[in-house]
Amino acid sequence: MTPSHPPSAPSNQYRHLRVPLLRRESVGNAYHVLSFEVPDGLPADPGQFVMVRATTWGNSPLLPRPMSLLTGGTTPEILLKVVGEGTLRMGRAEPGELFSLTGPLGRGWRGPHPARQPLLVAGGVGIAPLLFLARELASSGRRPLAIYGGRTSRDLPFSDDLEEVAEVHITTEDGSRGLRGRVTDVLDDLLTPESEVFTCGPDRMMAAVADATFARDVPCQVSLEAPMACGFGVCLGCPVPAVSGGYLYACQEGPCLDARRIAWYPPTSQRGAR
Amino acid sequence: MTHQAVRVGSLTLKNPVLTASGTFGYGLEFAPFFDIEDLGGICTKGLSLAPRPGNPPPRICETPAGMLNAIGLANVGVEAFCTEKLPLLRERGVTVIANIFASSIDDFVTLANRLDREPGIHAIELNVSCPNVKTGGIEFGRDPHLSGEVTAAVRAATRLPLWVKMSPEAADLAAVARACQDAGADALTAINTIRGMAIDPERMCVRLANRTGGLSGPAIRPIALRIVWDLVGLVDIPVIAIGGIATAADALQFLLAGAHAVQVGTASFSDPVAPLTVAQGIRAFCEHRGLSIDDLIGRARTSATS
Ligand SMILES: Cc1cc2nc3c(=O)[nH]c(=O)nc-3n(C[C@H](O)[C@H](O)[C@H](O)COP(=O)(O)OP(=O)(O)OC[C@H]3O[C@@H](n4cnc5c(N)ncnc54)[C@H](O)[C@@H]3O)c2cc1C
Ligand SMILES: Cc1cc2nc3c(=O)[nH]c(=O)nc-3n(C[C@H](O)[C@H](O)[C@H](O)COP(=O)(O)O)c2cc1C
Ligand code: FES
Repeated sequence: MTPSHPPSAPSNQYRHLRVPLLRRESVGNAYHVLSFEVPDGLPADPGQFVMVRATTWGNSPLLPRPMSLLTGGTTPEILLKVVGEGTLRMGRAEPGELFSLTGPLGRGWRGPHPARQPLLVAGGVGIAPLLFLARELASSGRRPLAIYGGRTSRDLPFSDDLEEVAEVHITTEDGSRGLRGRVTDVLDDLLTPESEVFTCGPDRMMAAVADATFARDVPCQVSLEAPMACGFGVCLGCPVPAVSGGYLYACQEGPCLDARRIAWYPPTSQRGAR
Repeated sequence: MTHQAVRVGSLTLKNPVLTASGTFGYGLEFAPFFDIEDLGGICTKGLSLAPRPGNPPPRICETPAGMLNAIGLANVGVEAFCTEKLPLLRERGVTVIANIFASSIDDFVTLANRLDREPGIHAIELNVSCPNVKTGGIEFGRDPHLSGEVTAAVRAATRLPLWVKMSPEAADLAAVARACQDAGADALTAINTIRGMAIDPERMCVRLANRTGGLSGPAIRPIALRIVWDLVGLVDIPVIAIGGIATAADALQFLLAGAHAVQVGTASFSDPVAPLTVAQGIRAFCEHRGLSIDDLIGRARTSATS
């Protein structure tokens, strides 16, 4: 590790908290922001996550759900998209409801490298760890480029917040906002040899983004999603095949990882065709 | 304050609550949450001679009141455990049960030999019941003759207390249990996971790369309780109960059925403090009723229903 490009803090500083939900806000299409009350604070780096579960869930859903932090501090926030039972319950939670939070977990984004131009590529709910990063960059006086894509204009939560801290290019698949198309349609034009790409979104989107950066020989980090039962290296349920052989554990070495370390499966060049 | 210590053969545990192998890592991962030395003990992730990468993903998925896992016994290997993890556990005064796994009797013996030399290991738990590996796991545990043979060979290789972990899938569990007892096991632990499956109707494919996985969590608790009850009636050595235990009330069921101690597994994922909460709950129950742990063990076997 060169000093100019330090890794995110090691992940042994995590705690288990029982904290009340402070606020829940619905945004766009089935997105919700949950804020929690943590008086002594949850210090976190952009890209780190928490395992979240309401204490009222009983045996169903049984496992906590991994969620990237939108912010840390005394009112940490997560942004979620309703995709199943757990996120449905979270999306209906009322202020005061007691939650169990374990975190901050994993390694966040490395860098960003001071000599490179950060380029953030977000798909839908993948905005969470990237908005956190953009805000950190803004606080050190840097304004990153960003591409933010969604299916429709209602799948772009926090786009206004992102625009405050980044130069944003928006794409939607139905053309209801920004350019009609996908993030990769804009990516090639924005990539320069000085770019450093940070991406989070659906797997296939990240694989396509990574592919584009490989072709241009530009560094790229992805924030991976893997099934997780624990979030801190115990269940061994979150392996990601590594280029060097064997596996990387998404909750330990990730979720933010150098795209070149990951043996994308199926191979990235075939992903689009799936 | 009532006495919470329990004896399992020659080993005395601070209290009757341990953690189940594979759900508590090497213990230290939980140190940020509570003092892990306050538990009766911890069972390590299954250790093999060489490190193992484990099965391809997806390895886990949630099911009603439970989860399926097909980890494939990924672990750091016995050597790394002894040099990197064990010294820290020893320093903390943790009661460590080394869960071991091998695909041949020779390798089981080598493992036991290696651990026998290590201060800080309090017992060995033989995993002859893993449903997620091609060789070695469950095929030992299903067969009374093989189970007895592995147990006898390991028994000869170590002075450490020896626990054998039962598969719920043996056709003749009674025969397996007796064979392990006769071969010198100091205790039986039960149960390991039960094989299950899940299919994603949306994507029209099986959810686990291994196709099948071991079911754990509250879903298996009644099955575990039935098996523990039966085992207690079958053998003279202590039985340690595992299976869907998440609260003190769950644990009490198993103690009342005759188990000497319990292991908390999947519950540590839902709530990483669960093992400690279970131990505290049992203590509170004993204090409230003015009973000792020994008063509880097997009490439901003699009392009439309700
Ligand atoms: C490190 C990490 C960070 C994450 N951060 C966020 C975040 O900030 N916001 C957020 O909304 N989600 C995030 N996720 C994903 C989130 O954990 C899952 O969406 C959640 O666990 C789903 O739980 P559920 O009970 O609602 O759905 P389940 O019942 O578990 O799943 C329902 C169905 O949805 C599918 N599914 C699961 N996850 C997704 C998904 N992400 N998108 C589409 N389909 C899915 C499942 O395969 C299943 O078929 C993150 C995941 C990881 C590993
Ligand atoms: C993710 C996971 C990994 C496991 N790994 C092991 C293991 O390495 N060795 C072993 O003997 N049992 C292993 N088990 C089985 C548990 O120790 C326990 O027997 C089982 O999960 C039932 O208990 P529970 O319902 O409380 O989880 C594992 C279970 C899970 C869920
Ligand atoms: S989520 Fe359990 S090991 Fe990564």
